[in-house]
Amino acid sequence: MDLRLPSKVLEHILSFVDSNEDRNSVSLVCKSWFETERRTRKRVIVRNCYAVTPEAVARRFPEMRSLTLKGKPHFADYNLVPDGWGGYAWPWIEAMAEKCPSLEELRLKRMVVTDECLEKIAASFKDFKVLVLTSCEGFSTDGLAAIAVACSNLRELELRECIVEDLGGDWLSYFPETLTSLVSLDFSCLDSEVKLSDLERLVSRSPNLKSLKLNRAVSLDALGSLLRLAPQLVELGTGSFSDKLDQEAVSKLSQAFSEMKELKSLSGLWDVLPEYIPLLYSVCPGLTSLNLSYATVQMPDLLELLTRCSNLQKLWVMDLIEDKGLEVVASSCKELRELRVFPSGAEGLNDTNVAMTEQGLVSVSEGCPNLESVLYFCVQFTNAAMVTIARNRPNLKCFRLCVMEPFAPDHKTQKPLDEGFKAIVERCKDLQRLSVSGLLTDKAFEYIGTHGKKLRMLSIAFAGDSDLMLHHLLSGCESLNKLEIRDCPFGDTALVANAAKLETMRSLWMSSCCVSFGACKLLSQKMPKLNVEVIDEHPLETRPDSSPVERIYIYRTLAGPRLDMPEFVWTIQKNPEIGVSHLAIK
Amino acid sequence: MENSNSYSPYSSSSVDSTKPSLSVNLSLSLTFPSTSSQRATSQDWPPIKPRLRDTLKSLRLRQRGYNTALFIKVYMEGVPIGRKLDLSTFSGYESLLENLSGMFDTSVICGNRDRKHHVLTYQDKDGDWMMVGDIPWDMFLETVRRLKITRPERC
Repeated sequence: MDLRLPSKVLEHILSFVDSNEDRNSVSLVCKSWFETERRTRKRVIVRNCYAVTPEAVARRFPEMRSLTLKGKPHFADYNLVPDGWGGYAWPWIEAMAEKCPSLEELRLKRMVVTDECLEKIAASFKDFKVLVLTSCEGFSTDGLAAIAVACSNLRELELRECIVEDLGGDWLSYFPETLTSLVSLDFSCLDSEVKLSDLERLVSRSPNLKSLKLNRAVSLDALGSLLRLAPQLVELGTGSFSDKLDQEAVSKLSQAFSEMKELKSLSGLWDVLPEYIPLLYSVCPGLTSLNLSYATVQMPDLLELLTRCSNLQKLWVMDLIEDKGLEVVASSCKELRELRVFPSGAEGLNDTNVAMTEQGLVSVSEGCPNLESVLYFCVQFTNAAMVTIARNRPNLKCFRLCVMEPFAPDHKTQKPLDEGFKAIVERCKDLQRLSVSGLLTDKAFEYIGTHGKKLRMLSIAFAGDSDLMLHHLLSGCESLNKLEIRDCPFGDTALVANAAKLETMRSLWMSSCCVSFGACKLLSQKMPKLNVEVIDEHPLETRPDSSPVERIYIYRTLAGPRLDMPEFVWTIQKNPEIGVSHLAIK
Repeated sequence: MENSNSYSPYSSSSVDSTKPSLSVNLSLSLTFPSTSSQRATSQDWPPIKPRLRDTLKSLRLRQRGYNTALFIKVYMEGVPIGRKLDLSTFSGYESLLENLSGMFDTSVICGNRDRKHHVLTYQDKDGDWMMVGDIPWDMFLETVRRLKITRPERC
């Protein structure tokens, strides 16, 4: 008796299955389910562009409409991955152009995107709608013009923190008069001035425009006229907020803000002058997201703003907010879910005069019951504070603490911060992401290995005593997916002993640690399903096996060794004649 | 521990982090500001993104700039005697160009689009001569050492 579901029925059922995690499970049931699922999947996410080939992806999902790709490892954000390492978008765009010409959406993160890529997109995908580039580089404003002119159904064009060769603001004028479908435009990372009249015309013919993020060069005066043309905006990133306006212009701008009844997210606010902060008061009660990381605003001026943001869920701010300001957040922003506090003194290299300590975060953990995601840069911290935070907020999902002084101990007891992080991983049972810092011994990592069972991503810098540290993590953290480590004193023994674990993870990054060349070779031989990349400025052919390498990046892959490696990236496939010396592993 | 990697020619932290040119070998012009004993260089610690790092640099500059002037020498090509200019009095490239055009009684522009006008160039802290106008004003103030107004090119 044939008990199989007819594929049409299965297709219909699957149309309700949205999450890719569920779809991945569906495709494992049996061959026919695999086939039906792959033919109906519209949204494809590849979190490591080297884990699989573009051709394989295009072949498996012919009906793909949306593709999300990630390239370089996370530490590339902090200048730890040399230029030219890889992450090229071109092979993907080429493959999709050929096999999936109905592609409508492309979201790329940390990839190298050239003008040729953008021109190819513009020429190949007739119904292209969405382009979101996050932390990408390699293209110029000419490439943007190509997209603007050709994609007649464009809905979203977002450049988030990209490094763009800025040849001027002309690209914006390439949007044709017939383009009326724009929903989201983000060019906040560009430097050049765009022509205000072009921008105004574009905004006025885009009735569906919900998100507009301007660059710094857009003046405050220009902002006023833009807001009057688009009072329906849900997300706004202003330009520079510091030009001197006359009284009439100020009141017009104030009026424009008060007309924005839908506004939920506010960012930009470069150089905002204290006297202009009251302009924002009318939108504060509606805000769920506020990004003040470029608003170098000092304390008293922030208070009035924050007390009005009673619905705030996400707050990104400089440590100029100080403990006092965070206390105000704790009492005013009861809906807060995510807090990020950035270091204003980071480039100062001097002592900052900012009065922000661990107490600020403790206050927020006490006052905000929904707080689940924290990124906190602080000069020093204490175990007691972390214990309190963990007790207050066992619902934390993401805890990233960056004590900026490497090896800084608990500044009250001078002890390592082991006990503090122990409290965090013990109490916060759903913790998925953790960044540790300060003075830490192997004990801290024993705790993390024991308790961090749901931990998926872990970042470590300047910590630990020995290989035991790495061993605890690799053998204990069952859900570990991404591990990134810099400047820690280990790990041949731990790596080789836990080699099998690496196949269950997406990737491992280690830089400025003590991994020897010999261990890398051994690992490569033992684990053929991993790409073991050694990223090192010095030529490796003449290296003794015992010498430590600068950086390693290990990731599981179905695609085998990649063909686009630069000179400074070595894998075993490059020099197969180099044997493995057993003397290398101590 | 391993050899000091206090300077890495392949590091992506180039001098001008807003414009990494993929065709130029950045390794040749890279110098690291940190002392060799510190592993954490100012380009990769604390871990913040490039755009935030740039913003903080210019914040620091502005804090400094409130009490220090920024006098630099300006030469017109072909004219042996130069002038001195306080860059901190200008709000941006436009006001700088306006002032220079007035000072030298000719039209001075940024960029090489128009070969009929005098083009403004500057020497940066690495000693290289660059076209004025490519980088944000705040970064320019931090790196400029002197200015030179070039003669218009004659075809």
